[in-house]
Amino acid sequence: MKPFFVPRSWFFVPSACLALVFAVVISVNAANNEPSTKNQEQKTAPFRPEAGKFPPLDKAHTYRGELVFVDHANRRGSIRVQGSGMFFRNDPHSFAMLPYGIVRYHGAPADLRDIPLGTVMHVHAFLPPDPKTSAVPVLPLDSGKKDANHNRGAGIFPPENHVLLLEDEPSHCQREGLTWKLKEIEIKDNAGLLIATREPKKGGDGKATEEKLTFDAATRVWRGRESLSIEDLVSEGVWPKDGKKALSGQSVLLGITWRPTPDGIFTRFHVSDIWLDDTAMQRAAKSQTETHKAFIRSRWMPAWIDAVEYGKFGRATVTATLFGGMDPSLYADFTKGTSTMMNAGENTLKHTHGAYGPSHMASRGTLLEVIKAPGNAPLGSSGIQIKFDTDLIIEGIRPTRVVRIRPSTWPQVQVPREEYLQDGANMDERFPTPAIFPKY
Amino acid sequence: MLQRRDLVAIINLNSKIADKFELVGRRQQPCRRHDFGQCHAPNYPFSLVFKDSFPVTRLLQLVTALGLVLLTSSAVAANDQPSTKHKEPGTEVFRPEPGKFPPLEKAHSYRGELVFVDHANRRGSIRVAGSGMFRRNDPHPFAMLPYGVVRYHGAPADLRYIPLGTVLHVHAFLPPDPKTSAVPVLPVNNKDKDANHNRGAGIFPAENHVLLLEDEPSHCLREGLTWKLKEVEVKNREGMLNASCEAKQSATNKAEDETFTFDAATRVWRGRECLLVQHLIEDGAWPADGKKALDGPSVMLGIMWKPTLGGVFTRFHVSDIWLDEAAMQNAALRQTETHKAFMRSRWLPAWVDAVEYGKFGRATVTATLFGGMDATLYAEFRKGVPAVMNSVENTLKHIEGGSAGPTQMAARGTIHDVIPTSDKPPLGSSGIQIRFETDLITEGMRPTRIVRVRPASWPDVHLPREEYINQGSIEERFPTPDIFPKY
Repeated sequence: MKPFFVPRSWFFVPSACLALVFAVVISVNAANNEPSTKNQEQKTAPFRPEAGKFPPLDKAHTYRGELVFVDHANRRGSIRVQGSGMFFRNDPHSFAMLPYGIVRYHGAPADLRDIPLGTVMHVHAFLPPDPKTSAVPVLPLDSGKKDANHNRGAGIFPPENHVLLLEDEPSHCQREGLTWKLKEIEIKDNAGLLIATREPKKGGDGKATEEKLTFDAATRVWRGRESLSIEDLVSEGVWPKDGKKALSGQSVLLGITWRPTPDGIFTRFHVSDIWLDDTAMQRAAKSQTETHKAFIRSRWMPAWIDAVEYGKFGRATVTATLFGGMDPSLYADFTKGTSTMMNAGENTLKHTHGAYGPSHMASRGTLLEVIKAPGNAPLGSSGIQIKFDTDLIIEGIRPTRVVRIRPSTWPQVQVPREEYLQDGANMDERFPTPAIFPKY
Repeated sequence: MLQRRDLVAIINLNSKIADKFELVGRRQQPCRRHDFGQCHAPNYPFSLVFKDSFPVTRLLQLVTALGLVLLTSSAVAANDQPSTKHKEPGTEVFRPEPGKFPPLEKAHSYRGELVFVDHANRRGSIRVAGSGMFRRNDPHPFAMLPYGVVRYHGAPADLRYIPLGTVLHVHAFLPPDPKTSAVPVLPVNNKDKDANHNRGAGIFPAENHVLLLEDEPSHCLREGLTWKLKEVEVKNREGMLNASCEAKQSATNKAEDETFTFDAATRVWRGRECLLVQHLIEDGAWPADGKKALDGPSVMLGIMWKPTLGGVFTRFHVSDIWLDEAAMQNAALRQTETHKAFMRSRWLPAWVDAVEYGKFGRATVTATLFGGMDATLYAEFRKGVPAVMNSVENTLKHIEGGSAGPTQMAARGTIHDVIPTSDKPPLGSSGIQIRFETDLITEGMRPTRIVRVRPASWPDVHLPREEYINQGSIEERFPTPDIFPKY
């Protein structure tokens, strides 16, 4: 048979035509949408934060999922987002913390490094403020509404991947005034199923949907000072050794993770921790608070610049808003007259300096004023503004730019290599590439 | 190893040939994945480069030169002190071979802070402690060997369970096959090089394929060590702790004191109780302010790193103190149960020792189960038990066709024999061989290849997307080392 040659250009012309046809069809479909629906659904419309403004929490897209990967030095990671389909099939979905984004763990401030992999997190996120410098892949605006196929459903790849609030289950429940009520347990060999409802702590309407969660011999049970195992609860007779038992709506807080589930179940979460009383939960929060306080005192308080009044010979007065979500005792260290240092940072909150430590490159000065704004500050902001006088104003300290600040009473330490930029000339350090995230 | 002076001597023997070469220093950067050829070549610190550009003369010159190099290097080798070579086994280059568990005593040992984890590919980064300024040390990538063992709180673990910041003890080897290394391949003598900038030597060892990765309590429990607390200095619920790491059963105390920091977040475990430093102060065990001698109570310490005041080069931080054995056992039990559930859902890893092929796809596979798991898991491999075996990669990732779960692609069959091979198996091996008969022998089940096996009674679950290989894509099978930042 003779070879049959076709000019390559033939393939290009029809593909261009196809693109045109698709474009027309898509326009027609868009025109068929109900414009009123679009306008009524303000909350679900993608929202892009602007530089120098804290975005309102109620404009955030909300989802939850399992923490699968963490690059803590660049404040980013991946989450397996819960959709309507088979949870295990969902590819890890990358996210980046906004510079003023807040992480909470065990009801206390945290850093990404403190969250164990596997923890199920609640996410409140926005579109990338600046797609050009996004540290995670930028997705199409309708990506969150597309069915991901393969029985995964929609919503597992939201384009809102820049996070304002990332919190674990106990943090979420405490912020929202919720509690888990244990209804029934089924146990065999120290493992089994727990049926529970998540409902308001005060005055639930009894209509909360029951959820089934697995637990096993590694599940931690916290009671006051004690760290117990399921075996301890069984040996005390609180839970049966084998079989079912009604638990009469006992109010607890749960730590939730995910593990592969048998029997073809689409999504079922796993209980890693049970806090039986307030004392136990408060102790966990206390421990995490102390961890984070030590962390912020060594890395400095993040803030952004509101205004700069330039003086002469490099002198300036800088007005900055401290970012929110920290323990109040840290803000209390910012007092009028305190000798202070301010260093330019990037959106990853990495210090910009060489290997001599942030103090070496930072601008020194004094706090002229500490102003507490009235009312509730938006999430991400502390509601505290400082006015800082320095004789070394630099390019990195400009309105909307991110800085880190340290009262001189805080320890002067040097941070590890991955947490600072060498000299800022390396674009890969300043704007980490999203290419590290695998494509499935 | 050939040194620059040896090469110069060789080349001086024949000025005509010498005229055709240049000595070019080898680059110091770690190898990239696509130019691994240079890196796993013999470890000559210099390369011979032809000045001439004619291919035919190049070939002739190459043959002549190689012959000369071989002759002269033999002479150089003959002049070496053989006794020295044999006396210093630790200095020889050792690379694990397929199908053999490398002896732990041949491993290069170091310790450092866990800085990054890519648990799905069983790799990460560690800031290695050297003689210099610890905080300046760039994170150093490592990969677990397929039979590499992770231990946390004195129990089997996976990388995903180790909190970032934990200080780990590492026993590692050169990459068994540099071509497929999931982390950058470094020159074999890298651990001896000074890293400059007050960092000292040893912080970037080429031995980055790990046989044993263990946290401080696991290390102490394995080595029969304990920490004796000597003195505490407290101010505002934080301070310094002086302690020495000693043999648990030794009358003599030769250990040097080490100073650690602790703070208000340090957890103190006593029996079932989880305390903080403030509780020790309230109990009167530690002072609220000032120093106190502690008379050397024996404890276990969880160790991590935090930036240190006062220009100190290296000082570690105490994250946990286990005051008694009951507390340590509780922690180990919890981690053991976590890992048991993990293994039952991911299956036990093993490698194939032999395959006896039958007809129509039937075969009997002999495989050695990897070590380091809880004994109850091995106990479920019994003669006559139906089992399932799936081929995996060195990352221990299952190979699945699509997302239908590992069981769908796995070979089913029966365990014919469970054979204990050794009372004291090498680390990495369980010392247990199984003989498994299947009617679906596949290409992935060949001697030295890695498989995962589960008795049919273990739960049949689907794995998350990052833990299996879909269609055998090369990127998925051999993860690129390019994800590690270059500082």
